[in-house]
Amino acid sequence: MASLTNLDPATLKRRSFIYRKLAAAGAEFAELNGGAVAMRYPARAESEAVTARRMGLADLSVLPHGGFKGRGTVEWLTAQGLAIGADSNKAYAQSGGELAARLAPTEIFLLDSLQGTGHLIGKLNATWQWSPSGPRPQQGYPMPRQDSHAWFMATGEKSAEMFSKICGVDLRPRHCPVGTIAQTSVAKMNAIVIRADLGGTLAYHLLADIASAEYLWTCMEDAVAEYDGRIVGLAALRSLQS
Amino acid sequence: MAGMYRLSAPFGAWIDRGKPVAFTFEGKHIEGFEGDTIASALLANGQTMISRSFKYHRPRSALTMAGQDSNTLVQVGDEPNCLADKRRIEPGLKIEGQNYVGSFEDDKGRFTELVERFLPVGFYYKSFHEKKSSWTAWEPIIRRMAGLGKADLEADFHHSYYDKQYLFADVAVIGGGPAGMAAALSAAEGGAEVVLVDEGAEIGGSLWYARFNVDGTHGSLTRAELESAIEAKRNIHVLNEAVCTGLFADNWLPVIKGNRLHKLRAKSVVVATGSIEQPAVFRNNDLPGVMFASAAQRLVRLYGVRPGSRAIILAANDDGYGAALEMLDAGISVAAIVDLRRAVPANEMTQAVRRAGIDVIAGHAIKEALAGPGKMRITGAVAAPIAGDGKLGDGGRSLDCDLILMAVGYSPAAHLLHHAGTKFAYDEASHMYRPETLPPHVFAAGSVNQAYALDAALADGKRAGWLAARDAGHAGGAEPAAPVDLGCEGVTHPWPIFPHEKGMDFVDFDEDLKYKDLINGIADGYDNVELLKRYSTVGMGPSQGKHSAVAAVRIVARETGESLHRMSVTTQRPPYTPEKFGHMAGRVFEPERRTAMHHRHLELGAQMMPAGLWWRPAFYGSKSERDKTIREEVQAVRTCVGLIDVSTLGGLDVRGPDAAEFLNRMYTFAYAKQQVGRCRYVLMTDNAGVITDDGVAVRFHDEHFYVTATTSGVDAVYRQMLWWNAQWRLDVDVANVTAAYAGVNIAGPKSREIMKRVCSGVDLSAAAFPYMGAAIAEVAGIPARIMRVGFVGELGYEVHVPASQGEALWDALMAAGGLEGIRPFGVEAQRVLRLEKGHIIVSQDTDGLTSVWEADMAWAVAKSKPFFVGGRSAEIQARKPLTRKLVGFTLANDSDPCPEECHLVLKGEEIVGRVTSAVRSPSLNKVVGLAYVHPSDGEPGKLFDIKIDGGRRIKGVVTKYPFYDPDNKRQEM
Repeated sequence: MASLTNLDPATLKRRSFIYRKLAAAGAEFAELNGGAVAMRYPARAESEAVTARRMGLADLSVLPHGGFKGRGTVEWLTAQGLAIGADSNKAYAQSGGELAARLAPTEIFLLDSLQGTGHLIGKLNATWQWSPSGPRPQQGYPMPRQDSHAWFMATGEKSAEMFSKICGVDLRPRHCPVGTIAQTSVAKMNAIVIRADLGGTLAYHLLADIASAEYLWTCMEDAVAEYDGRIVGLAALRSLQS
Repeated sequence: MAGMYRLSAPFGAWIDRGKPVAFTFEGKHIEGFEGDTIASALLANGQTMISRSFKYHRPRSALTMAGQDSNTLVQVGDEPNCLADKRRIEPGLKIEGQNYVGSFEDDKGRFTELVERFLPVGFYYKSFHEKKSSWTAWEPIIRRMAGLGKADLEADFHHSYYDKQYLFADVAVIGGGPAGMAAALSAAEGGAEVVLVDEGAEIGGSLWYARFNVDGTHGSLTRAELESAIEAKRNIHVLNEAVCTGLFADNWLPVIKGNRLHKLRAKSVVVATGSIEQPAVFRNNDLPGVMFASAAQRLVRLYGVRPGSRAIILAANDDGYGAALEMLDAGISVAAIVDLRRAVPANEMTQAVRRAGIDVIAGHAIKEALAGPGKMRITGAVAAPIAGDGKLGDGGRSLDCDLILMAVGYSPAAHLLHHAGTKFAYDEASHMYRPETLPPHVFAAGSVNQAYALDAALADGKRAGWLAARDAGHAGGAEPAAPVDLGCEGVTHPWPIFPHEKGMDFVDFDEDLKYKDLINGIADGYDNVELLKRYSTVGMGPSQGKHSAVAAVRIVARETGESLHRMSVTTQRPPYTPEKFGHMAGRVFEPERRTAMHHRHLELGAQMMPAGLWWRPAFYGSKSERDKTIREEVQAVRTCVGLIDVSTLGGLDVRGPDAAEFLNRMYTFAYAKQQVGRCRYVLMTDNAGVITDDGVAVRFHDEHFYVTATTSGVDAVYRQMLWWNAQWRLDVDVANVTAAYAGVNIAGPKSREIMKRVCSGVDLSAAAFPYMGAAIAEVAGIPARIMRVGFVGELGYEVHVPASQGEALWDALMAAGGLEGIRPFGVEAQRVLRLEKGHIIVSQDTDGLTSVWEADMAWAVAKSKPFFVGGRSAEIQARKPLTRKLVGFTLANDSDPCPEECHLVLKGEEIVGRVTSAVRSPSLNKVVGLAYVHPSDGEPGKLFDIKIDGGRRIKGVVTKYPFYDPDNKRQEM
């Protein structure tokens, strides 16, 4: 990973659809996965970790994420060493901190850990090959999730209440255990919400149409404001894990 | 001191005397305290008249102090029709009265009362049914009268911030009075997650102000006990100052609190909404100074306001006696209690009143209230002996007073139960309607369920809460016993209606309907209460019959001889209280989609246009130079090179051993033999053979096709593919990857040179990468899907890359083309370019009936394959004569105006088609277009009529297309 500098996200090929908003908010970027991720917001008076425990919002769109879909997907991924349970709408933690979110019996959405090394997803994408002619194993097909979905994270004790302003699913901790997936509507958009606490802090991944990233981010900023919520950087999220 | 009529503590539990709040009413400076409502602050300052009535402009004041009536509607800033007895004061509020002509105090509209006999019930029906012409004269008058408050049409309109929030509960308890509190506790003790909704600033309901025992301590002690128990329960969420306006299917409950609409969904619901005090009907029963006993008690206890100095209580129950004691405690003298009952029961409350020396006049009613100048405030009342139901005998007494408190009975606040479909029955013993059959998962408790005595309400709440919790899958232990004595008898008088020969005896305050109006309505033949409601408008005002519905039913029953058992109050529909449009609209969520290059377009001065949810650049330049800019963009593509963002085009990955067979079935063309690395046109029809979409299928692997679709059509195409594949069960996977790929089309004679500079891993020479070729390679180091397609009719490449790298691709191509002067072009130029080539746009040049034959696209139908969706219909269509045909056209006289889309094509006087696209081509310097014409006019050279603006006809000439580069040399170079 590059050192923290005044990295301009536009100098890298992979760009979050909301990098301008993050920059305008004072983000300090670092290079990750060929793009610039907002690590922290130095001008803040309050510690970002404190903010994140109350109500934080982060953009993880450049972090590695991907997926596979189609007949044989789960069997193939299992053969590659992933641990995927039988239930759909559950996210299964992997040994490297990645999540394998089972959206359907034959569909897996993969989220890298907050370290963003991309080891697992990179390995899977490299391993998957079109079969040679002849009897064809069922192995699903890779999905361009890195580019179809913006990836945000909402954290903190107020995050479930915040979601109740933009989502009709009951995401309160008692009703939405860690690992639960809601494929639902958020701010009138199709979205995937996954509860994935960071340490002891309530947290949710939010995955939605990348083309509507700016719209959704604006809605989220509006929704978190009531709870004195702020944008936080990846560093703050990592600190919650430790 | 915020008001000369202000009482000192302990009165005024809801105000904070340490926080004065100043505002203006009709320009007058008014001071209240934090916690005051507008009405309580006005009354504390001696401002008794708060509003003017709808029809007669009579002075009105607080009636309920509970937001249940329209007597306190005021204008707050630019917001009309605010309930002054609910709306809290805030510093600097500018409040005005409503519905007056001239000044609020000297309202010329009050003279309407003098001509009231010319405004009979059913005025609209009588005036306009046969004499429709009179509407012209009446309309401006009626429009002026309508609406009460004023929307400022000149104001700089802005959206105030309203939003919505979902709430979830096992048990929702609506109403935070004693029954509701008991129900919430009972349900919570059973383990249920409870949301308790109450209109008051704090939960407690009548426990805050009603007199349940002689010394007035029972209510406050009970409240304190329940309140602390609720506070201790972590599974009770209290939502106060919130009103539940409806009860819909599956226990969907809209709850409004401030500017927020909560969308509450509960497994079960306890309706504990209490009851609504009902007025007595007598002359001048509407004037300031006449109010419900409960309203006076609220003013005293909650706001510390003395509503008058000398009161008469019109009673038919013990609550009136409690109110009398309350007034005495507040330093208000009580001139008398006029009791409708002949025999006043001897109990603790009545005895205490008598001990206090209050004159009790039994078997009497108030004949009329007397009023001072301008009817601004009552000055006395005339009490007369009751000679029979609604009849008063001779004699009686005049009594001085400035306050008449009505305590003659209640009606259940059963609106939510009505919404849920509850059946009600009239109870002869209590003279009230009671819920008879409750719908599943809905429970009733407290006085809405006839439990009037405090102990009964508590017991009933406990029972209902337990049942609701059990219904929601909780609760344990034995079911609590239902109360034995509900205490509902003797609280409501069966006929508190005493019409006066001079009228002004109001049944409906909202609509200024007098007793005689209802009688006349019934005499006019509207003798069913639902019909009478619509004819007379009784119960149709802002309070929706809360105080008039029961009286109307009683009157209809009396006049028609019908039994109350066979009748019901008129249907009570949502919302329970008025809702603002803001609440329904809420925080507006309008998703939009932006491509990866969106901001680059803005930086280049693009005028953006919507395409479904997407934003696309229309052209790059100022609006004032639109046409010139579009021409220049077209020229750039034709002569040099242009770059357009095509990210919005649909993209579908079709993968699997059966991918080619799948496309064969989905589209009209044949794909089994399509070579890897080649593109082929796709045309989709529906079952009826109607063209629904088009695009290109690119074969990147034997088992992988990348299929493009139109921007607006891709979602439907994707749905169709999933639906059909569910039928066919082919071994194929379909993924909509539209958003995952950003795309550009670099087009123009110099496009290859630029592409060569940035591409790696592919030979771009014409031989190696011909027209309709495709490859996966790298462009500027970005993995890309490259296709040579020719929508604009020039040498060009569509480059699709991962969306997150789309902006980088744009930057790279703009930089690489700098030497050649690459120019971005927008959708408008693209439309011109494609029309010059005669390429159709599905849904612009086709419609919901267009077949492949009409569109002259037989070339896109593979006749050798056994099946495609719509194929059978296409076969049938082919055997029938065409009724229209899509042709290219130019103008016989090119100096004629360019036709517009949807200008009619005529054959004689018959409409046979329409223009679908037309433009003055910059490349050809003449008008070219597409149009549906009569089949007999479909051959090149044929003339046809186009009816353009103003009805003028011009001649079109059928012309073979492509108009530009007919041999397609340029796109294939």
